[in-house]
Amino acid sequence: MNQPTMAQLVGPLRKELADSLSSCRVLVVGAGGIGCELLKNLVLAGFKNIEVIDLDTIDVSNLNRQFLFQKKHVGKSKAQVAKESVLRFCPSANITAYHDSIMNPDYNVEFFRNFQLVMNALDNRAARNHVNRMCLAADIPLIESGTAGYLGQVTVIKKGQTECYECQPKPTQKTFPGCTIRNTPSEPIHCIVWAKYLFNQLFGEEDADQEVSPDTADPEAAWNPADAAARATASDQDGDIKRVSTKEWARSTGYDPVKLFNKLFKDDIMYLLTMDKLWKKRKAPLPLDWTEIQQIESSQEEACGTGLKDQHVLGVQGYAQLFRRSVETLRSQLIEKGEGAELVWDKDDPPAMDFVTAAANLRMNVFSMNMKSRFDVKSMAGNIIPAIATTNAVIAGLIVLEALKILNSDFDQCRTVNLRCYSFDTLKPELHHVLSYLTYLCICFSHLV
Amino acid sequence: MIDTIEKEENIISEEEAAQYDRQIRLWGLDAQKRLRGSRVLLVGLRGLGAEVAKNLILAGVKGLTLLDHEQVTEESRRAQFLIPVDADGQNQAQASLERAQLLNPMVEVKADTDAVGSKPDDFFFQFDAVCLTRCSKDLMVRVDQLCASRNIKVFCGDVFGYHGYMFSDLGQEHHYVEEKPKVVKGSNEANDGPEAKKPKVDPNETTMVKKTVSFCSFKAALEVDWTNEKAKNNLKRIPVDYFLLQVLLKFRTDKGRDPQPDSFAEDSQLLLQIRDDVLETMGLSSELLPNTFVSYCFSEMAPVCAVVGGVLGQELVKALSQRDAPHRNFFFFDGLKGSGVVDYFGSK
Repeated sequence: MNQPTMAQLVGPLRKELADSLSSCRVLVVGAGGIGCELLKNLVLAGFKNIEVIDLDTIDVSNLNRQFLFQKKHVGKSKAQVAKESVLRFCPSANITAYHDSIMNPDYNVEFFRNFQLVMNALDNRAARNHVNRMCLAADIPLIESGTAGYLGQVTVIKKGQTECYECQPKPTQKTFPGCTIRNTPSEPIHCIVWAKYLFNQLFGEEDADQEVSPDTADPEAAWNPADAAARATASDQDGDIKRVSTKEWARSTGYDPVKLFNKLFKDDIMYLLTMDKLWKKRKAPLPLDWTEIQQIESSQEEACGTGLKDQHVLGVQGYAQLFRRSVETLRSQLIEKGEGAELVWDKDDPPAMDFVTAAANLRMNVFSMNMKSRFDVKSMAGNIIPAIATTNAVIAGLIVLEALKILNSDFDQCRTVNLRCYSFDTLKPELHHVLSYLTYLCICFSHLV
Repeated sequence: MIDTIEKEENIISEEEAAQYDRQIRLWGLDAQKRLRGSRVLLVGLRGLGAEVAKNLILAGVKGLTLLDHEQVTEESRRAQFLIPVDADGQNQAQASLERAQLLNPMVEVKADTDAVGSKPDDFFFQFDAVCLTRCSKDLMVRVDQLCASRNIKVFCGDVFGYHGYMFSDLGQEHHYVEEKPKVVKGSNEANDGPEAKKPKVDPNETTMVKKTVSFCSFKAALEVDWTNEKAKNNLKRIPVDYFLLQVLLKFRTDKGRDPQPDSFAEDSQLLLQIRDDVLETMGLSSELLPNTFVSYCFSEMAPVCAVVGGVLGQELVKALSQRDAPHRNFFFFDGLKGSGVVDYFGSK
């Protein structure tokens, strides 16, 4: 790097760099965990013209790390409140906030061309892909980043000099085969996915890929191919599974929780048991009966004690009660919404979360798995990624350092930095000269991509 | 320290559960309760101090005391995000208090305007951890000696331009736990016998493993002998930042302040002189720390404060919650290279 000569430092920076910081325009996409830390670092470093966009509103679970927000801001626009908070400690900053989605066509290539640098602070792949393409089209450098728990990563993307975000294939979301979900679950996650499907089949938008009834066409169930075909035909005639949709059937019973319970956890299980080949090498499921469960002594519901209420694991009777209560509540919600209404599953909607917790656990019990607390079910069902302030603080600091290099036109100095439990791995520049354009290795976290 | 949790602090409120949800899912409820029982002293409220304050307050410690005797200047105000724009001339800790408290009303945040050097020994004993920034080497050595014997966790950290460091002394015996996946006995799926019909063990189950580690004093860490053959052979692998730190601490002791942009010419000359002296005393060559260093150790780079403050904050959280392996015992960050290194200096 060039040596600063005397009296040309503005704070810790060379004067030319300090000047270019105050005149350039940057775009920050996202005002959440990374976004809040990033905005703070940018203004403290001397950036003056910043635009920030985020479609989301503030939730109480954000407050452990998105420090520009307070409890009184819950429900308000993240981008807007972030701007206001930053202006309080740096009133001279010129910040524009958009409460909007970056994928809105208003933010076209011309829009992106306004900026010298774009920095992502996103949490989903669709938006990342989109911004990646816009920056390539506008030929603007992009700094990509992500965090999860104690891990994090920062990468610079510049057309013609580095790989773009989509150059390397990213791992896709894990899915499970239909017969695992419908017939032979072996892990709690299978039961949780089933319970979410069940929610949609009963209360939400029905989806042909989200069947919950036993799958008679399961290839594993057939002793021979002809047998499978015979079973499939038989069930059509039987009528109890394929002909009537789950929702229609539920409606016909008035969403009676007890009837629902017995169909899902007794009758359907007994049907599965007839597919005996499935159980030759697996432990067979054990059907539940509503009336029998009521006879069980009220399970040892301990006093709240020292743990979080949500972290308690109930007994089968407890989950049966939870199932009934949540079905009744959801039924009321449907009625209130009127004819043809559909509910959308939301982990933060208590009866929806209760329903999935109950249904998943009852199924786990049927298949002899250890049951899970609502806390754990919520993590899995809601794809919750644990998050803390410090990881975001470190990554946002690294983003700004990369930004300074870009403005200094030091592309060869740019690095991909990977953060693993706070030991940093920095890739050497020699790699860059081997190929005709710079490439970076990325450690892929499915939630970051 | 936090060996036993007070009975009334055993319950976690709904408000805490909601706010701390995403971090409880990472480090567990036990760790959160230990944090909730901890009192921390933070000395120095400039760029690095403000970052550490934010991180600890958001994490949910019981109490944080902000201690700083200096007054707000335009330069110091621009370096951090807690001080309001009209606070020039006020005490730095006092000026930072309101916004620090707003970060998390569940934490007791206090301001102390005294100079840390004037505090009697027993002042420090009310804390579970102490974090020193902008302190002289002698003061850090004194406080460290005082605290380590009482099982008070000691941390030191500073940012000089693009460079930053963190040091920790968690005592002779620091106990902590690590969460490890449960070892599942190999299942033989080809076997048709009764074992095959046993329910599958959840592969996500984990177990807590207890560990103990020891730390040396700050004094011992800085007074490593480089004149013996073994040390000399290892020199190539030593982060140069360790020697840079020695130079900057000497500057601070001699001048009573850190290098300032206003006195760039004079200060850079002095830095080079000190570099020569310090390395010579250690029996090492000046070439170990090339002249270029002077350009990049003035003032505090905000992004470097964020990185070092993040690491330091997380180390404090680990130490107070007694969970996860602590860095032992230095972390050096070079903002020019974007590289961070953990290394151990001192008696093994």
